[in-house]
Amino acid sequence: MLRLIGGIVLRRVLVLVPMLFIVSIMIFVVLRLLPANPIGMLIAPNATAEDIERLRVYYGLDRTILEQYGLWLGHVFAGDLGDAISFRADVLGLIGETLPATIELALMALVFAVVIGLSGGLLLFHWRGKRRETVADVTSLAMLSTPDFLWALFLILTFGVAWTLLPFAGRAAPSLVLPDITGFVFIDSLITGQLDLLGSWFLHILLPALALALAFAPLVMRVLRASLSEVINEDYITLARLRGVGEGRILLRHAFKNAALPTLTLIGVQFGFVFGGTLLVEIIFSYPGIGNLMVRAVRNQDMPVIQGVTLTYCAAVLFTNLAVDVLYVVLNPKLRRE
Amino acid sequence: MNAAASANRPGRALLRSGRVVAGGVLLLVLILAAAFAPWLAPHDPAEQDLLFALVPPAWDALGDPKYPLGTDSLGRCVLSQLIYGARVALIVAVCAATGAMLLGVFLALIAGYFGGRVDWLISRAVDLWMSFPPVILSLILMVGFGVGVVNVILAIVLVDWTRFCRVIRSEVLVVCQRDYIPAARLLGFSHLRTLWREVLPSVAPLIVTLMSLEMGIAVIVEAILSFVGLSVEADVPAWGVMIADGRDYVYQAVWGLVFPILAIMITVFGFNLLGDGLRLTLDPRLQSRQAR
Repeated sequence: MLRLIGGIVLRRVLVLVPMLFIVSIMIFVVLRLLPANPIGMLIAPNATAEDIERLRVYYGLDRTILEQYGLWLGHVFAGDLGDAISFRADVLGLIGETLPATIELALMALVFAVVIGLSGGLLLFHWRGKRRETVADVTSLAMLSTPDFLWALFLILTFGVAWTLLPFAGRAAPSLVLPDITGFVFIDSLITGQLDLLGSWFLHILLPALALALAFAPLVMRVLRASLSEVINEDYITLARLRGVGEGRILLRHAFKNAALPTLTLIGVQFGFVFGGTLLVEIIFSYPGIGNLMVRAVRNQDMPVIQGVTLTYCAAVLFTNLAVDVLYVVLNPKLRRE
Repeated sequence: MNAAASANRPGRALLRSGRVVAGGVLLLVLILAAAFAPWLAPHDPAEQDLLFALVPPAWDALGDPKYPLGTDSLGRCVLSQLIYGARVALIVAVCAATGAMLLGVFLALIAGYFGGRVDWLISRAVDLWMSFPPVILSLILMVGFGVGVVNVILAIVLVDWTRFCRVIRSEVLVVCQRDYIPAARLLGFSHLRTLWREVLPSVAPLIVTLMSLEMGIAVIVEAILSFVGLSVEADVPAWGVMIADGRDYVYQAVWGLVFPILAIMITVFGFNLLGDGLRLTLDPRLQSRQAR
């Protein structure tokens, strides 16, 4: 088992490294299409031509694209993503500060999406053939038509503005000081035993995570329903029925177990998209993750930050795929034996 | 069965499908609104009237019948902005989906039909593209291209061709296993003719379905990009820009946020309804499965 997993991880990493390499080239080339001049954002209005030239040399903007890429890549291997032009901080540090917030948000969204999606899928299937199904079906389709950023705005309108029930800005109440141990507020607050911080964190992450989950859950619902419909015609279900097992038990114990696997694969594959979706949700909820960093960098045309953050997103997607592959082998007994 | 009758059948089945009709009517209304925007809109969408800033919708006690859906922070008519915004949304939806379809299907046909190295190369390219979250890729493409309708369309095409390529390629692989493909080759059909006359028609229903879903996706992506301020030029009305403006005044004027959200939802719902209905009607495998 362990050797099998090791083999998979090794094979995926062998693909992953060249992928990241090519991804980095793509990012670099796309961003160099831009005619704009990031130095323009940086200088004082009375700067002379020599000042501008000095800065261009300092940030390496006077060299050819190939040279710039070579320099950048060399630094990346040394663990240095360069200095931000507009923030006056190093890119790796900026990402390190903001990434934990995004990971927390994405994982929380995943938990909500799995809970809502699986229970919704079971319900949809349970209602098959009834008039309710058509209603539920169209509802899930309407939910599917609502992207995460619209859910985010809806939730703000309902729970933040109409009923001021939940906060919708930041990671925790501004009066609380975040202990900077791991960067994950959930873990940090448990380490330091600050239960008020934990509570505040949960209330703050509830709406953004729900926005992501509500956009993702209908897909889970519909795929689970589809695979349940396939599984329910299998012989072992008929057999269980003949043995007199109750319909609810058949659904939960026999059908669900086998239908869950394709659903889990889908969740894994789509999780990469959820990670991308955090960008907008973060902006709408002023949530200090890498999405907010990215948009600030885009507005300031801060190349080193855009490059670093984009690479981080891609790495996150690729590592998620790797995790899904491993999980699939662990969960699927058919694959385990080989 | 003569050709006319068989060609007529899917048409009638489509008209019987409630989803196709509902989605189609919804979209037709939108298209008409966008096309006749100058006659339908009560105001010029850019016309500002600071004396009438943040006026609530007409049915509100404080509303003004001149502004049926109220005004935004600069006193611009919300309804007129919505109607003109439909133009950008629909143009981007149609052009970007068509472009993504053409590029994706072209590559999928080559990859699935010829197989071998070409297939390997195209499949790796798809893998590579899929390692970018779509929002991030379209964002950096827009940073590279700069704002403008054509650039938005181009960015969406370059991001979303993979959606078509992945699905159609595996469908082409299945189709190429059927006997009539080698039979066509034996009859002396060229590769091009085999692809055009034999392979393409059998994947066409899937393409139509994907197209209509992709149009919905394109509407959302355009809204996202214009929300961040990286879509059309600042003076062109777009729903995403309205949302970004409305968000800043959400406490004083909810309507500035609610109506553009509704507009996007209804549009995307229309495309999805149409796509779902087309899938159910056009896919013969689904029909036989339902019959069973």
